[in-house]
Amino acid sequence: MSDIKKRPVILDGDPGHDDAIAWVLAATCPEFDIKAITTVAGNQTLEKVTYNARRIAALLHLDIEVAKGRNRPLCGDLIIAPNFHGETGLDGPKLPEPHLPLSSLSAIEMMAKVLRESEEKVTIISTGAQTNTAALLIAHPELHEKIEMISTMGGGLRNGNWTAGAEFNILVDPEAAHIVAHSGLPVQMCGLDVTEKALVYPEEWDRIRALHNPVAEVVAGWFDFFFIHVSSLGWAGATTHDPCAVMSLVHPEIFDIRDYYVDIELNGKYTRGATVADFDNISGNKPNMRCVVGLNREKFVDYLVEACSRFEGWEI
Amino acid sequence: MNKKAIWIDCDTGVDDAFALFTALKIEELDILGISVTDGNTSLDNGFRNTRNVVSLAGKEDIRIYKGANKPLIGKSAMDASEFHGEDGLGGVILPESKAEVERKLAWDALYEAVKNSKEKVTVCAIAPLTNIATAIAKHPDIVDYIEEINMMGGAAAGGNTTCCAEFNVYHDPEAAENIFKSGIPVNMFGLDVTMKVNFSRADIKEMETYGNPVAEALKEMVKYPLAYLDTVSYQNDICLHDTLPILYAVKPELFKGEKCAVYAETQGSITRGKTVTDLWTDFKFEDRHCRLFLDADREEIVKITKEAIKNY
Repeated sequence: MSDIKKRPVILDGDPGHDDAIAWVLAATCPEFDIKAITTVAGNQTLEKVTYNARRIAALLHLDIEVAKGRNRPLCGDLIIAPNFHGETGLDGPKLPEPHLPLSSLSAIEMMAKVLRESEEKVTIISTGAQTNTAALLIAHPELHEKIEMISTMGGGLRNGNWTAGAEFNILVDPEAAHIVAHSGLPVQMCGLDVTEKALVYPEEWDRIRALHNPVAEVVAGWFDFFFIHVSSLGWAGATTHDPCAVMSLVHPEIFDIRDYYVDIELNGKYTRGATVADFDNISGNKPNMRCVVGLNREKFVDYLVEACSRFEGWEI
Repeated sequence: MNKKAIWIDCDTGVDDAFALFTALKIEELDILGISVTDGNTSLDNGFRNTRNVVSLAGKEDIRIYKGANKPLIGKSAMDASEFHGEDGLGGVILPESKAEVERKLAWDALYEAVKNSKEKVTVCAIAPLTNIATAIAKHPDIVDYIEEINMMGGAAAGGNTTCCAEFNVYHDPEAAENIFKSGIPVNMFGLDVTMKVNFSRADIKEMETYGNPVAEALKEMVKYPLAYLDTVSYQNDICLHDTLPILYAVKPELFKGEKCAVYAETQGSITRGKTVTDLWTDFKFEDRHCRLFLDADREEIVKITKEAIKNY
């Protein structure tokens, strides 16, 4: 493994069941060198998701101090999603307590430090509201050139989910998403277009459970909990949103990725937070977003199961 | 024959002309009247075009009324002359209708027609919704006499005037929102379905062999939009946008729609004029009285259109 040139990444999210599964994927990916874990308010309050992030780091034996990010969006009021993720933001299976203290740096200081010190360009994987990333971009113009790509889960070119116009992560902080979209940096967007096709069915996470290692059992438990609310909305499988932002970097070949100009609606009675794509180039603007719009679902599930199999003999 | 009572509101336009020529040959339709609004072309152009189209179809007994010359709020942001030509019909001069010019305004004529009709009336709106919204504003009880509104407009995804707005709704978003909030059931034929029902260049070639005055007129009319379509990458053929909501009134089996809520965004800075639906979202509005159409039997609709034109 040591001869593989590793890709430095920052995991920025609001765990959250699907953030947690995304981080399990990232932790098992030999191409990744995880440089930082940063948190942002969204699925639950900042305190809760930060505690969750530290517990996930303990579960995955990631010796990285979690850096706490913004506790509210840049402009709007915080929205949280306890209906999906429970009171703790990560209800369900029991997790180990944090094995490391919280970082003394803020998320944005931590991100800046990683970028500054890295020889290679760094990829930011943003699976929550894009508040931290946007704050980094506006506060550190000198570090833009150190960013390889921003891989996001958020938005939907065809539809929203939290409102008729908008997807949750973008709706939490539309201004942040706007800053990221118009940064001029390579941005990849896994919106509902792909994540609502990234369904994992109960019999499929039973395959994960059947691996009988401690992490796989936790992942299956996360699916169990997350699916309680998701199934009540009429979905036959768990909409596995955030892992797409990781998997589309590692296995782009199983995804349908298209370049579009995408803008973010900041106003609107129904549409605040909508990600508006120019499919037919009506605006004449150049594409600013790599939009992931489809996937080979079976392969996605296979890779997910394979990732969970890497924890055989793991101790927690 | 048990006829279906409808009212048509249009802004004639090349695709309105196709729709009108088709509608006027459908025997099951009882067209109570036609009103005209500003949209594809100016009100005066649209009024003249509608009168002349109906006259060419030999139906000068159908009354045609003038409506709004601008959207509810503000000025006309744009027309569609890029597509339909300055006069709305691609520069084709039709014989002048000899019918008497109606002085009654669209919203009053519509109100009287639906109130006097034995059956509830289906309003087929194939233009910006300014006239219908004005009718509801002036005559609130009109909602009791309208069975449903079959509209061409909007898009569940995408757009043709902005990235996310279709022309008719973009032209007057406040009017569209007014319709969606009126409580009247709305059948929305947006770009999602109308772009699938094209009248291909081969179909036009076939039409050229019919040799009757209507076919000849349409053959000339399509030249202007076809030349425009040659310059864009996303669409090659004329679409029968406006035919769909009228045909649905008598042949609902040709269309596939789903019940949902639709509203029109009037505020957004980049989404003004977007039709917002909860069709695909976990979030659901409380009031869901629309049917949004996503698919149609293109072959059959083109066949009906061709038969109508052939029969003139």
